[in-house]
Amino acid sequence: MAQPRLTGVTRLFFRVGVTVFGGGDPTIAILQREFYKRDWLSPEKFGIAFGLARLTPGTNVLAFCVAAGWYLRGLPGALAAVLAITIPASVLVVWLTRAYDLTARYPLAQSIANALVAAAVGTMLGAALLLVRTQCSRGRWLRPIVIAAGAFVLAYVVKLSPLQVIGVAAIVGFFWAES
Amino acid sequence: MNLVVLYLLLVKATLTSFSGLASLPMVRNDFVVRRHVLTDHQLNTAVAAGRIGPGPLGIYVVSVGYLVAGAPGACAGWLAMITPAFLIIPMLRFLGARAEHRRARAVARAVLFAGAGLMVTAAAPLARDAITGPLSLAIVVSSFILIAVTRVDSLWVMLCAAVVGMLSFQF
Repeated sequence: MAQPRLTGVTRLFFRVGVTVFGGGDPTIAILQREFYKRDWLSPEKFGIAFGLARLTPGTNVLAFCVAAGWYLRGLPGALAAVLAITIPASVLVVWLTRAYDLTARYPLAQSIANALVAAAVGTMLGAALLLVRTQCSRGRWLRPIVIAAGAFVLAYVVKLSPLQVIGVAAIVGFFWAES
Repeated sequence: MNLVVLYLLLVKATLTSFSGLASLPMVRNDFVVRRHVLTDHQLNTAVAAGRIGPGPLGIYVVSVGYLVAGAPGACAGWLAMITPAFLIIPMLRFLGARAEHRRARAVARAVLFAGAGLMVTAAAPLARDAITGPLSLAIVVSSFILIAVTRVDSLWVMLCAAVVGMLSFQF
């Protein structure tokens, strides 16, 4: 894995913080894809950060950012990640709070926001595929696909909470170890 | 309202929830029902502002802080939003020494795969809102292809989508 510089970590989280709309899940999807592209975070560490973030109180994506930043550059990385991803977005949300009645009536802003959420949906689906595909090495495709599809069924059809789905996946992972 | 009290009330709400908007009932109870420092309309504005902008949905607490106590209140809200996230560090330290164990790696990978399934689940309600016609469907499909197949920077995917959204309004 490549060790990024603190400025690189800050720049990535800042950029994702101001350009990704639709909440925490698209943010994690984009970060996953950027980590994969840059070879910054191993799949195991991503899995640990993702799973523990769901167990952490508060906004899950911020716990994920702290964990990813911690893995990339220790405590300075964790601080840089969470500050870079939240400060610009917080400034924007204050501005939007002031201008909410104006923006709600402004169709151009609505049109841009709708297009950005559509792009976030495509990004999440693409990142989900990447997560599984990068782990499907020769002859080892069954476990990733069964667990990912099972998680989808448990969350979407059975309506288990993400925390419960991750708990089930952890148990399955423990007993169904890779050969 | 005193900033320390504001911070403590907001951090109580964020610490006792496990996702962005799950803290909303407690925030409403403390600020609207019990202390009357916020109206339901203002709380709705805060939630809507949080949904319109970039970042996590839980960012609405910054807006709540701003509406209660101006810019210093927004800072208190921001601090309350990020504080619980650092609780993950002791868990990482605890797991760090055990992460290389074969079983631990298998569990981490299983959680990673479950994450892929959860991402698809989370995309479903967003897709219902976002896909309003052929153009938005085309944006979803093209961003999916660009992210999954190419190495193009996600920033460009977002910028292109914004430009398409702007042009679709103009024409």
